[in-house]
Amino acid sequence: MASSQDKITVYNLADLKNTSDDAIPNYLNSLGFTQSHRLTDVRLALGYTAFALAAACFAWDYKFGFDSTKHLTAAAVALYTLLNGLLTLWVCYVERGTVYVGTAPSAAGGETVRISTATKKNVPTYHVTVEVTGKGGKEVVETVKVSRSFTEWFDGAGRFVAAPFQAMLAGSVGVIGRADPKRAAKAREEADGPAAYTPEMLNVLAQANVSVVGSAAEEATGSEAAEAKKAGKRRKA
Amino acid sequence: MLSSLQNPRQVAAQLMNFGLILSTAFMMWKGLSIMTDSPSPIVVVLSGSMEPAFQRGDLLMLWNRNLFSETNVGEIVVYNVKGKDIPIVHRVVRKFGAGPDAKLLTKGDNNAADDTELYARGQDYLNRKDIVGSVVGYMPFVGYVTIMLSEHPWLKTVMLGIMGLVVVLQRE
Repeated sequence: MASSQDKITVYNLADLKNTSDDAIPNYLNSLGFTQSHRLTDVRLALGYTAFALAAACFAWDYKFGFDSTKHLTAAAVALYTLLNGLLTLWVCYVERGTVYVGTAPSAAGGETVRISTATKKNVPTYHVTVEVTGKGGKEVVETVKVSRSFTEWFDGAGRFVAAPFQAMLAGSVGVIGRADPKRAAKAREEADGPAAYTPEMLNVLAQANVSVVGSAAEEATGSEAAEAKKAGKRRKA
Repeated sequence: MLSSLQNPRQVAAQLMNFGLILSTAFMMWKGLSIMTDSPSPIVVVLSGSMEPAFQRGDLLMLWNRNLFSETNVGEIVVYNVKGKDIPIVHRVVRKFGAGPDAKLLTKGDNNAADDTELYARGQDYLNRKDIVGSVVGYMPFVGYVTIMLSEHPWLKTVMLGIMGLVVVLQRE
């Protein structure tokens, strides 16, 4: 769970994904979502049962020798294979890269969101799939798919910047937007924003000696941070 | 890295992955044991007594089921002697009787005399149940690592050190 002070290597895709994955429960739980750990708990139960079985097998083999425990060992091997197979199936077909399952506070509608994330090898794009299930109902009401570049919420030094990341989620998923109207509004504003740089404006900016780097989202938070820093310095001086 | 300790489920999952690697390796070994019906289905040749067939460090695959025929003269078998921990790889040279009570005599191809000297005190033949398995396949030289490690214990320290270093460097 990397907090925003931790720096990661921006070339390490696993680091980018893990830090972003960890930020999702942080954000949603802070909005009052109730996280459900059922998927993880089942996986842990399967894995640890298999491990306990292997440990028991080791113990009786060590204590009573091979020949007297042959049939027990055969059963244990079969059961272990079964458990491990189940675990693989669970991870591949049930979890499917799910990083968060949680229910929104009733003020925001009380729907359940299930968020799974994925990356493709050597492509720094974060693919987020959000399945929203209605209150009480089992069927999936809506599925939102978002693919964004990691550069939108990591700065050049590898620091995680929470605001654009949260705006990405709030802006694209209705339930999260309702739970966090402030970020959703900001996301909408930015969605209108990116086209704002006309050639004339760029000229003006160039003359004003301001560098325009990165996407609109980065620019927005970047300037905020810069202002805060300047203010801090002034206060110190 | 340390900050991930805040989430107990994440820690549990990481521990589990590590544990499953170990337990899966162990259960694969046990599965092979069950399949071949041998307590130790793969052994390393420790002596030169079977040269030129097997050299020190060869890895042998064993099979301990008599599906089609019983263990016969000419087969290379691995056997345990009561009171000695080290399994011995030698060839069956004589057989008296049949079935589980058959008396077997073994000899190393490279040895001048048969194995009566190597057997336990008062024992001058092997029974079928003393045999851990018959050799059905081998891989030359692969097992030399284990010989090196058991004969030069300081190599274990070196290897552990290198592994530790790799783990530390990969974390960064």
